[in-house]
Amino acid sequence: MESLFFKKSRSPSEAAAEVIDIDVTPVMNVFIILIPFLISMAVFTHLSIIEFSLPPNVGVGLDEAAGKPKLKLTIVVAKKYLAISHGENLLDSIPVNGNEYEELYKKLLARRETADIRDELVVAVADAIPFQQVINVMDRCRDAGFEKVGLSSAPEEAERL
Amino acid sequence: MKQRKQFSALHENGEPDAVFRPQLTSLVDVMTILLVFLIQSFSVEGTLVTPAPDLTLPVSTAIEPAKPKLAIEISQSYVLSGGTIIAYTDAFKTSDSLLIPALYDYMIVQKAAYDDSKRAQEVLIQSDREVAFNILKRVMYTCSRAGFVDFSVLVLKEE
Repeated sequence: MESLFFKKSRSPSEAAAEVIDIDVTPVMNVFIILIPFLISMAVFTHLSIIEFSLPPNVGVGLDEAAGKPKLKLTIVVAKKYLAISHGENLLDSIPVNGNEYEELYKKLLARRETADIRDELVVAVADAIPFQQVINVMDRCRDAGFEKVGLSSAPEEAERL
Repeated sequence: MKQRKQFSALHENGEPDAVFRPQLTSLVDVMTILLVFLIQSFSVEGTLVTPAPDLTLPVSTAIEPAKPKLAIEISQSYVLSGGTIIAYTDAFKTSDSLLIPALYDYMIVQKAAYDDSKRAQEVLIQSDREVAFNILKRVMYTCSRAGFVDFSVLVLKEE
Protein backbone atom coordinates (compact mmCIF):
# COMPACT_ATOMS: atom_id res chain seq x y z
CA MET A 1 0.00 0.00 0.00
CA GLU A 2 2.68 2.49 0.86
CA SER A 3 4.44 1.77 -2.40
CA LEU A 4 1.45 3.17 -4.25
CA PHE A 5 1.85 6.61 -2.72
CA PHE A 6 5.61 7.00 -2.68
CA LYS A 7 7.77 7.38 -5.79
CA LYS A 8 10.46 4.86 -6.02
CA SER A 9 13.74 6.77 -5.82
CA ARG A 10 16.54 5.70 -8.12
CA SER A 11 20.16 5.38 -7.15
CA PRO A 12 22.70 7.54 -9.03
CA SER A 13 24.09 4.48 -10.80
CA GLU A 14 20.68 3.64 -12.12
CA ALA A 15 20.17 7.16 -13.42
CA ALA A 16 23.53 7.10 -15.19
CA ALA A 17 22.77 3.76 -16.75
CA GLU A 18 19.63 5.11 -18.39
CA VAL A 19 20.13 5.34 -22.16
CA ILE A 20 19.77 8.81 -23.62
CA ASP A 21 18.29 8.72 -27.09
CA ILE A 22 19.57 11.31 -29.53
CA ASP A 23 16.86 12.92 -31.55
CA VAL A 24 17.95 12.25 -35.15
CA THR A 25 14.83 13.70 -36.74
CA PRO A 26 16.48 17.01 -37.80
CA VAL A 27 19.44 15.11 -39.26
CA MET A 28 17.08 12.91 -41.26
CA ASN A 29 15.27 16.01 -42.50
CA VAL A 30 18.56 17.38 -43.83
CA PHE A 31 19.40 14.07 -45.48
CA ILE A 32 16.00 13.79 -47.12
CA ILE A 33 16.56 17.18 -48.76
CA LEU A 34 20.27 16.81 -49.53
CA ILE A 35 20.44 13.32 -50.97
CA PRO A 36 17.95 13.73 -53.85
CA PHE A 37 19.72 16.94 -54.82
CA LEU A 38 23.13 15.25 -54.85
CA ILE A 39 21.76 12.27 -56.77
CA SER A 40 20.51 14.63 -59.48
CA MET A 41 23.93 16.26 -59.72
CA ALA A 42 26.04 13.12 -59.53
CA VAL A 43 28.12 12.12 -62.54
CA PHE A 44 28.72 8.40 -62.68
CA THR A 45 30.39 8.13 -66.08
CA HIS A 46 33.18 10.48 -66.97
CA LEU A 47 33.48 11.41 -70.61
CA SER A 48 36.35 12.92 -72.49
CA ILE A 49 37.25 13.56 -76.11
CA ILE A 50 40.16 12.83 -78.40
CA GLU A 51 40.73 15.38 -81.13
CA PHE A 52 42.28 14.30 -84.37
CA SER A 53 42.46 15.33 -87.97
CA LEU A 54 42.37 13.85 -91.44
CA PRO A 55 45.84 14.43 -92.90
CA PRO A 56 45.74 15.98 -96.37
CA ASN A 57 48.70 13.85 -97.43
CA VAL A 58 49.50 10.71 -95.55
CA GLY A 59 52.97 10.79 -94.02
CA VAL A 60 54.12 13.95 -95.76
CA GLY A 61 54.66 17.48 -94.44
CA LEU A 62 56.52 20.25 -96.17
CA ASP A 63 59.64 21.77 -94.71
CA GLU A 64 59.34 25.25 -96.16
CA ALA A 65 62.82 26.32 -95.15
CA ALA A 66 64.66 23.52 -96.87
CA GLY A 67 62.08 22.90 -99.59
CA LYS A 68 62.17 19.18 -98.85
CA PRO A 69 59.25 17.11 -97.64
CA LYS A 70 59.32 16.42 -93.91
CA LEU A 71 58.13 12.97 -93.09
CA LYS A 72 55.97 12.06 -90.15
CA LEU A 73 56.05 8.74 -88.41
CA THR A 74 53.26 6.46 -89.53
CA ILE A 75 51.79 3.66 -87.47
CA VAL A 76 50.08 0.98 -89.48
CA VAL A 77 47.43 -0.89 -87.50
CA ALA A 78 46.69 -4.29 -89.03
CA LYS A 79 45.00 -7.37 -87.65
CA LYS A 80 48.18 -9.26 -86.81
CA TYR A 81 50.77 -6.56 -86.34
CA LEU A 82 51.51 -2.90 -85.66
CA ALA A 83 54.17 -1.32 -87.81
CA ILE A 84 56.08 1.93 -87.41
CA SER A 85 57.30 3.40 -90.65
CA HIS A 86 58.97 6.60 -91.75
CA GLY A 87 58.13 7.33 -95.34
CA GLU A 88 58.94 4.18 -97.26
CA ASN A 89 61.15 2.74 -94.52
CA LEU A 90 59.75 0.18 -92.14
CA LEU A 91 61.28 0.88 -88.73
CA ASP A 92 59.57 -1.55 -86.39
CA SER A 93 57.06 -4.35 -86.58
CA ILE A 94 55.21 -5.42 -83.44
CA PRO A 95 53.14 -8.61 -83.43
CA VAL A 96 49.70 -8.52 -81.87
CA ASN A 97 50.16 -10.81 -78.87
CA GLY A 98 48.59 -9.03 -75.91
CA ASN A 99 51.58 -6.80 -75.14
CA GLU A 100 51.58 -4.88 -78.39
CA TYR A 101 50.52 -1.56 -76.90
CA GLU A 102 53.26 -1.49 -74.29
CA GLU A 103 55.76 -2.47 -76.95
CA LEU A 104 54.41 0.26 -79.24
CA TYR A 105 54.80 2.83 -76.49
CA LYS A 106 58.45 1.90 -75.92
CA LYS A 107 59.24 1.93 -79.64
CA LEU A 108 57.58 5.30 -80.10
CA LEU A 109 59.54 6.81 -77.24
CA ALA A 110 62.75 5.63 -78.88
CA ARG A 111 61.79 6.69 -82.41
CA ARG A 112 60.62 10.10 -81.30
CA GLU A 113 64.17 11.08 -80.43
CA THR A 114 65.30 10.84 -84.03
CA ALA A 115 62.06 11.81 -85.81
CA ASP A 116 61.86 14.97 -87.92
CA ILE A 117 58.45 15.85 -86.51
CA ARG A 118 58.17 15.04 -82.83
CA ASP A 119 54.65 16.05 -81.95
CA GLU A 120 52.67 14.68 -84.85
CA LEU A 121 52.18 11.35 -86.50
CA VAL A 122 49.72 9.43 -88.62
CA VAL A 123 47.83 6.30 -87.65
CA ALA A 124 46.89 4.27 -90.72
CA VAL A 125 44.26 1.68 -89.85
CA ALA A 126 43.07 -1.38 -91.73
CA ASP A 127 39.34 -1.52 -92.42
CA ALA A 128 38.49 -4.45 -90.18
CA ILE A 129 40.11 -3.08 -87.04
CA PRO A 130 37.61 -2.35 -84.23
CA PHE A 131 37.44 1.19 -83.06
CA GLN A 132 38.62 0.38 -79.53
CA GLN A 133 41.96 -0.77 -80.91
CA VAL A 134 42.34 2.48 -82.77
CA ILE A 135 41.71 4.38 -79.55
CA ASN A 136 44.28 2.24 -77.72
CA VAL A 137 46.91 3.07 -80.33
CA MET A 138 46.05 6.78 -80.18
CA ASP A 139 46.38 6.70 -76.40
CA ARG A 140 49.87 5.23 -76.63
CA CYS A 141 50.85 7.82 -79.21
CA ARG A 142 49.70 10.59 -76.93
CA ASP A 143 51.51 9.06 -73.97
CA ALA A 144 54.70 8.93 -76.02
CA GLY A 145 54.50 12.67 -76.65
CA PHE A 146 52.74 12.86 -80.00
CA GLU A 147 49.96 15.32 -79.24
CA LYS A 148 48.57 15.54 -82.76
CA VAL A 149 47.34 12.40 -84.39
CA GLY A 150 46.04 12.05 -87.92
CA LEU A 151 43.84 9.12 -88.89
CA SER A 152 44.17 7.51 -92.26
CA SER A 153 43.43 4.30 -94.06
CA ALA A 154 46.08 1.59 -94.18
CA PRO A 155 47.70 0.48 -97.45
CA GLU A 156 46.20 -2.45 -99.28
CA GLU A 157 48.89 -4.90 -98.25
CA ALA A 158 48.04 -4.28 -94.59
CA GLU A 159 44.42 -5.10 -95.34
CA ARG A 160 45.38 -8.52 -96.64
CA LEU A 161 47.54 -9.51 -93.67
CA MET B 1 -9.57 -1.76 -6.13
CA LYS B 2 -7.84 -4.22 -8.32
CA GLN B 3 -8.48 -2.01 -11.37
CA ARG B 4 -7.20 1.03 -9.49
CA LYS B 5 -4.03 -0.92 -8.66
CA GLN B 6 -3.52 -1.71 -12.28
CA PHE B 7 -3.91 1.92 -13.27
CA SER B 8 -1.52 2.97 -10.55
CA ALA B 9 1.03 0.36 -11.71
CA LEU B 10 0.99 1.75 -15.23
CA HIS B 11 1.53 5.31 -14.11
CA GLU B 12 3.86 4.52 -11.25
CA ASN B 13 6.63 6.87 -12.37
CA GLY B 14 4.23 9.66 -13.26
CA GLU B 15 4.97 9.15 -16.95
CA PRO B 16 2.59 7.90 -19.60
CA ASP B 17 3.10 4.52 -21.17
CA ALA B 18 6.31 4.20 -23.32
CA VAL B 19 6.04 5.94 -26.71
CA PHE B 20 7.09 3.79 -29.65
CA ARG B 21 10.14 5.31 -31.33
CA PRO B 22 11.56 3.63 -34.41
CA GLN B 23 15.30 3.08 -34.35
CA LEU B 24 16.73 5.59 -36.83
CA THR B 25 20.37 5.03 -35.98
CA SER B 26 21.00 2.44 -38.68
CA LEU B 27 19.11 4.56 -41.22
CA VAL B 28 21.31 7.53 -40.36
CA ASP B 29 24.37 5.31 -40.90
CA VAL B 30 23.17 4.39 -44.38
CA MET B 31 22.36 7.99 -45.20
CA THR B 32 25.78 9.15 -44.06
CA ILE B 33 27.59 6.66 -46.27
CA LEU B 34 25.33 7.57 -49.20
CA LEU B 35 25.99 11.24 -48.61
CA VAL B 36 29.76 10.77 -48.60
CA PHE B 37 29.59 8.80 -51.85
CA LEU B 38 27.37 11.37 -53.55
CA ILE B 39 29.56 14.27 -52.47
CA GLN B 40 32.48 12.45 -54.05
CA SER B 41 30.48 12.07 -57.28
CA PHE B 42 29.23 15.62 -57.26
CA SER B 43 30.05 17.62 -60.35
CA VAL B 44 29.44 21.35 -60.66
CA GLU B 45 29.56 21.51 -64.43
CA GLY B 46 27.54 18.36 -64.90
CA THR B 47 27.57 16.57 -68.21
CA LEU B 48 27.59 18.81 -71.24
CA VAL B 49 27.46 15.92 -73.67
CA THR B 50 25.04 13.03 -73.30
CA PRO B 51 26.26 9.75 -74.79
CA ALA B 52 23.84 7.74 -76.87
CA PRO B 53 22.23 5.05 -74.72
CA ASP B 54 22.66 2.17 -77.15
CA LEU B 55 26.37 2.70 -77.74
CA THR B 56 29.27 1.25 -75.79
CA LEU B 57 31.87 3.96 -76.06
CA PRO B 58 35.55 3.01 -76.17
CA VAL B 59 37.67 3.51 -73.07
CA SER B 60 40.59 5.89 -73.22
CA THR B 61 43.17 7.62 -71.04
CA ALA B 62 42.28 10.98 -72.60
CA ILE B 63 41.38 13.70 -70.12
CA GLU B 64 40.17 16.55 -72.31
CA PRO B 65 36.60 17.40 -71.30
CA ALA B 66 33.77 16.90 -73.74
CA LYS B 67 32.33 19.97 -75.42
CA PRO B 68 28.96 20.25 -77.11
CA LYS B 69 29.33 19.94 -80.88
CA LEU B 70 27.39 18.53 -83.75
CA ALA B 71 27.30 14.84 -82.90
CA ILE B 72 27.26 11.87 -85.21
CA GLU B 73 26.45 8.55 -83.57
CA ILE B 74 27.72 5.36 -85.16
CA SER B 75 26.38 2.02 -84.01
CA GLN B 76 26.83 -1.43 -85.50
CA SER B 77 23.66 -1.00 -87.56
CA TYR B 78 23.16 2.63 -88.41
CA VAL B 79 24.45 6.16 -88.38
CA LEU B 80 22.29 8.74 -86.70
CA SER B 81 22.35 12.32 -85.56
CA GLY B 82 19.93 14.24 -83.39
CA GLY B 83 17.91 11.08 -82.82
CA THR B 84 17.30 10.58 -86.54
CA ILE B 85 18.67 7.58 -88.42
CA ILE B 86 20.53 8.92 -91.39
CA ALA B 87 21.92 5.79 -92.98
CA TYR B 88 22.16 2.06 -92.37
CA THR B 89 25.69 0.64 -92.31
CA ASP B 90 24.79 -2.40 -94.38
CA ALA B 91 23.79 -0.07 -97.21
CA PHE B 92 27.15 1.64 -97.60
CA LYS B 93 29.91 -0.42 -95.96
CA THR B 94 30.73 -2.36 -99.12
CA SER B 95 30.14 0.49 -101.51
CA ASP B 96 32.95 1.45 -103.88
CA SER B 97 32.55 5.10 -103.06
CA LEU B 98 33.54 6.35 -99.63
CA LEU B 99 30.83 9.00 -99.74
CA ILE B 100 27.57 8.31 -97.88
CA PRO B 101 24.98 10.34 -99.81
CA ALA B 102 22.34 10.63 -97.09
CA LEU B 103 24.91 11.71 -94.51
CA TYR B 104 26.47 14.16 -96.95
CA ASP B 105 23.12 15.86 -97.58
CA TYR B 106 22.44 16.03 -93.86
CA MET B 107 25.84 17.54 -93.05
CA ILE B 108 25.46 20.17 -95.77
CA VAL B 109 22.20 21.30 -94.17
CA GLN B 110 23.77 21.32 -90.70
CA LYS B 111 26.75 23.35 -91.87
CA ALA B 112 24.47 25.99 -93.32
CA ALA B 113 22.63 26.24 -90.01
CA TYR B 114 25.73 27.32 -88.10
CA ASP B 115 26.46 31.04 -88.09
CA ASP B 116 29.79 30.63 -86.34
CA SER B 117 32.31 29.53 -88.94
CA LYS B 118 34.52 27.77 -86.40
CA ARG B 119 31.74 25.67 -84.96
CA ALA B 120 30.60 24.89 -88.46
CA GLN B 121 33.75 22.79 -88.93
CA GLU B 122 33.59 20.69 -85.77
CA VAL B 123 32.08 17.26 -85.46
CA LEU B 124 31.87 15.01 -82.42
CA ILE B 125 31.76 11.32 -83.27
CA GLN B 126 30.22 8.87 -80.84
CA SER B 127 31.02 5.38 -82.00
CA ASP B 128 30.52 1.97 -80.53
CA ARG B 129 33.84 0.42 -79.61
CA GLU B 130 33.26 -2.62 -81.83
CA VAL B 131 32.48 -0.69 -84.99
CA ALA B 132 34.98 -1.46 -87.75
CA PHE B 133 37.24 1.32 -88.92
CA ASN B 134 35.78 0.95 -92.41
CA ILE B 135 32.51 2.51 -91.24
CA LEU B 136 34.26 5.29 -89.39
CA LYS B 137 36.46 6.03 -92.36
CA ARG B 138 33.46 6.54 -94.62
CA VAL B 139 31.68 8.76 -92.11
CA MET B 140 34.76 10.94 -91.66
CA TYR B 141 35.31 11.17 -95.40
CA THR B 142 31.70 12.23 -95.94
CA CYS B 143 31.90 14.84 -93.19
CA SER B 144 35.13 16.24 -94.60
CA ARG B 145 33.57 16.51 -98.03
CA ALA B 146 30.73 18.48 -96.47
CA GLY B 147 33.24 20.93 -95.00
CA PHE B 148 33.78 19.57 -91.50
CA VAL B 149 37.50 19.29 -90.88
CA ASP B 150 37.84 19.16 -87.09
CA PHE B 151 36.95 15.82 -85.60
CA SER B 152 36.80 14.61 -82.06
CA VAL B 153 35.74 11.28 -80.67
CA LEU B 154 33.79 10.80 -77.45
CA VAL B 155 35.30 8.23 -75.12
CA LEU B 156 34.83 6.95 -71.62
CA LYS B 157 37.54 8.14 -69.31
CA GLU B 158 39.53 5.28 -67.91
CA GLU B 159 39.32 5.26 -64.11
